[in-house]
Amino acid sequence: MIVASVFPISIAGISVSSPTGPAWEFLVLFVVVIIGPPLLQRARLPGIIGLLLGGYAIGPHGLNLIGAGNTTIPDLGQVGLLYLMFVAGVELDLGLLRVHRRAVIAFGLLSFTLPMLFGTAIGFSLSWGAPAALLLGSLLASHTLLVYPAVRNAGLTTVPAVATAVGATVLTDTASLVVLAAVSGSQLDGGGPASIALQIVVGLGVLLVFTLVVLPRLARLAFRELGTDRIVRYLIAIAAFLAAATLAGSFGIEGIVGAFFAGLGLNRLVPNEGPLMDRIDFFGAAVFIPIFLVTVGMLLEPSVMIQGETLKLAALFIVASIGGKAVASGVARVRLGFSPSEAMLMLGLTVPQAAATLAATVIGFNIGLFDQSVVNAVLVLILVSIVAATLLVERAKARVPVPGKSSRNLGKRVLVALDDPRQAALAFAIGARIAAPDSGVVRGFLACPPREADAFKPQLEQLRAAGFAVGFDTDPALLVDPSLAEGVINAAAVQEPSFVLIGQRRVAAASALSSPGEAVAAYSTSPVAIVIGDATGIREVVLIETERSRDAQSDDTAVGLAAELASRIGRRRVSVRKANELPNTGELSRGQLAIAPATSWEILAASDPPTGAALLLVLEPRLPFDEAGAAEESEAGAGEPRQPAPAEVNPEARR
Amino acid sequence: MHPMSFEGTRSRIWRASVSVSAWVLITGVMLSACGDLGSSPAAGTFAPRTPGVLTVVTSTLPSPGFWEGTAHHPTGGLEYELARDLADRFGLKSVRIEIEHFHRIVAGRLGGADLALDLITPTSQREQSLDFSTPYLDAAPTVLVRSGQPVPDLETAQSLRWGAIRGTTFVGMIDSMIAPDQSLQLFENSPAMLAALKANKIDAVLFDLPLAVVTAGRSGGRLKTAAQLPDAESIAAALPKGSSNAQAVDSAIRAFTSDGTLDHLLHVWVGSAATNGASSIPLLHTTR
Repeated sequence: MIVASVFPISIAGISVSSPTGPAWEFLVLFVVVIIGPPLLQRARLPGIIGLLLGGYAIGPHGLNLIGAGNTTIPDLGQVGLLYLMFVAGVELDLGLLRVHRRAVIAFGLLSFTLPMLFGTAIGFSLSWGAPAALLLGSLLASHTLLVYPAVRNAGLTTVPAVATAVGATVLTDTASLVVLAAVSGSQLDGGGPASIALQIVVGLGVLLVFTLVVLPRLARLAFRELGTDRIVRYLIAIAAFLAAATLAGSFGIEGIVGAFFAGLGLNRLVPNEGPLMDRIDFFGAAVFIPIFLVTVGMLLEPSVMIQGETLKLAALFIVASIGGKAVASGVARVRLGFSPSEAMLMLGLTVPQAAATLAATVIGFNIGLFDQSVVNAVLVLILVSIVAATLLVERAKARVPVPGKSSRNLGKRVLVALDDPRQAALAFAIGARIAAPDSGVVRGFLACPPREADAFKPQLEQLRAAGFAVGFDTDPALLVDPSLAEGVINAAAVQEPSFVLIGQRRVAAASALSSPGEAVAAYSTSPVAIVIGDATGIREVVLIETERSRDAQSDDTAVGLAAELASRIGRRRVSVRKANELPNTGELSRGQLAIAPATSWEILAASDPPTGAALLLVLEPRLPFDEAGAAEESEAGAGEPRQPAPAEVNPEARR
Repeated sequence: MHPMSFEGTRSRIWRASVSVSAWVLITGVMLSACGDLGSSPAAGTFAPRTPGVLTVVTSTLPSPGFWEGTAHHPTGGLEYELARDLADRFGLKSVRIEIEHFHRIVAGRLGGADLALDLITPTSQREQSLDFSTPYLDAAPTVLVRSGQPVPDLETAQSLRWGAIRGTTFVGMIDSMIAPDQSLQLFENSPAMLAALKANKIDAVLFDLPLAVVTAGRSGGRLKTAAQLPDAESIAAALPKGSSNAQAVDSAIRAFTSDGTLDHLLHVWVGSAATNGASSIPLLHTTR
């Protein structure tokens, strides 16, 4: 050990001993986490390789700064592994999975089965036992969406090929983890095949029920009752995956299976763009996941890596894994009709071997199925797959056209703008239901005149509490602007919401010329609705179908939007009421929310809903500028203003 | 071919491939559940020096709880059973036991044995002449004294006459962590050292916790565990330097750790006293 050989130093009676203990070990660890990735990125290599090499450098096969007998760092690495699998589950976009389910199932099965077959065949050809061969197949079949951030940054997330590859990850990783559970169960349980199979089946059943049924309910309850503190919300998420991992372990199933399913279970409760996901990502990226990768690097033994046996294994693994994924992408291209560039993008997304592969390999190593040379060969595979994936995605993403804005993700980012905090409970309840199917986020804004921000700040707490009450951290902020409409338009320009909900407690707040909502609708590309009333709960939704509704059934109209909102907010409790015009809202009963497509005249014609009921008026979405401009030019002639400026739309909307 | 017919054929092929994929997955899971539990080349290969025989060297027989019986008629013990489990995993028919002084074992003189099992702690000095497996036990150094001899603090410990087996890590540990007033007495093996302890020639010795607990338990009340030192030590199998069997032994010990074999052996041969000892034996605050 280099450090130990330098110390102790004794000068003029002052003795300095060699650094030891947890503080020194964690210092060394974090130095690697800090400098490893940027160093490798400067050499145009993925940062993950920096962590692996850094782990080797400080590990027992390198400088031995963290010795083989250390258990603290590897234990923390194990928590990091659970964290990684939890994040993989919680980040998966279940909405995309639903939309492209046929392609996802087909591609998922192919991209799992082919590498699984190739890997298992290689294992048997090397005279490995069935458990080791099957575990090899499964670890080559899984993949990690390591290069997905590059695809996301390129704006390609809604490309069907990308959605298919991302969705297929659920299947490949779940199937791999099921094989892992079966294999590790067969090694850890001393019973016969039938009892092992029963143990695994029962264990997986209990785990699925716990993670997908019980855990989301418990978490939702905990978010409501205890989750007003953001630290507590984060700790609830941590406790959730640790509980699932513990439960899995009780049945002899590896903890990572439980952690992954816990992520899937909490998927809808932890929106990808929400503050809680930010915190999960932050701590994962800063601490847990790097430490896991560093501990994996500590397993690296170059003397074994460069041995002929290791390189031979690595070559076989690379052929089986990347070859299998390539054939799967090729078959899917022909069968599912993707372009060659899209198929290359799918291949790039499914080639990287990291999280699940490492997890399965480390577990195979820990249960004595794999030796050091297999681990090192897998590490070579990981390095090669990451570099190959980076190159493939870089080439493919330049050739795949960026799609237009999708109208399907209505609930991705719901912006709720209020000028009266008493509407917060109702507005956030509506926002939460709209956001839920897309695992979206709800952001809250409270309108506030300039120079009065200090007086309004205490009211933000009301909004925050109302958000937490429906399980959302709405991270409310003040919207300081003399005009509510302009304020919302400005906020929308920054937030890029998928839907804007504007609160208006009384019908009288709108003028004969227009409402703030209409002004926003005129200038925002996002759909806009106005909620009137101050109900505290929604028991039933009444969808109003007027004459106009029967003339315009397109999804892109206020009529279509109203129907979708009714479905999202009311779920199964939606009744349809036919009317020639907006009904008398006085007919609504407590807990009812009426939803109707509307114009400003209809808004004016409506009366305030009774106490405990509410009215949601869905405005006609604005056409994209080019289409609208063309349409209006043909009708109104050039030179005429297409739409009045927000300030001109409704002087009454100004404060 | 008619376009519809071609489309139908493609569709059937597609359905068939999806169906085959699903069945492969199910079959894979079932196969793995039915797979053999033994070693495979993926976990490293073991080549014994004598075909069909695992030759193990140790220093003392019997060693309570770890090696019971004699070299020719072993009757059990944690390390003996571990050797048998290793032999089973590597497909070897028998275990042969050889005896060698501890200080010679840790100097790398294994006398032609495949490995040594003798409560050996890996150290950087020993790693110059031996390869070590992954640890199979962690144990705190534990103070063994005659009954009636209290060791409540470091000052009392320093006033005692200490003994240790030549070549063990306890020699340096007693010097650095206890720094006794009188010089340390060295012994060739544990029976000689325990005889000196019982004969009042020395007052205290250090043993690994499980061995100390079993030794005290079998002393008929003459010996007791008085304290444990901080910082448990890892205990591993030692192999000849550069042995090609290291990977296979490592994999085997990891497997025995994860499947509960080692816990079972510890429970059977050392008993719950050793596992509970960590909390019941008081900690001695040492010089470092």
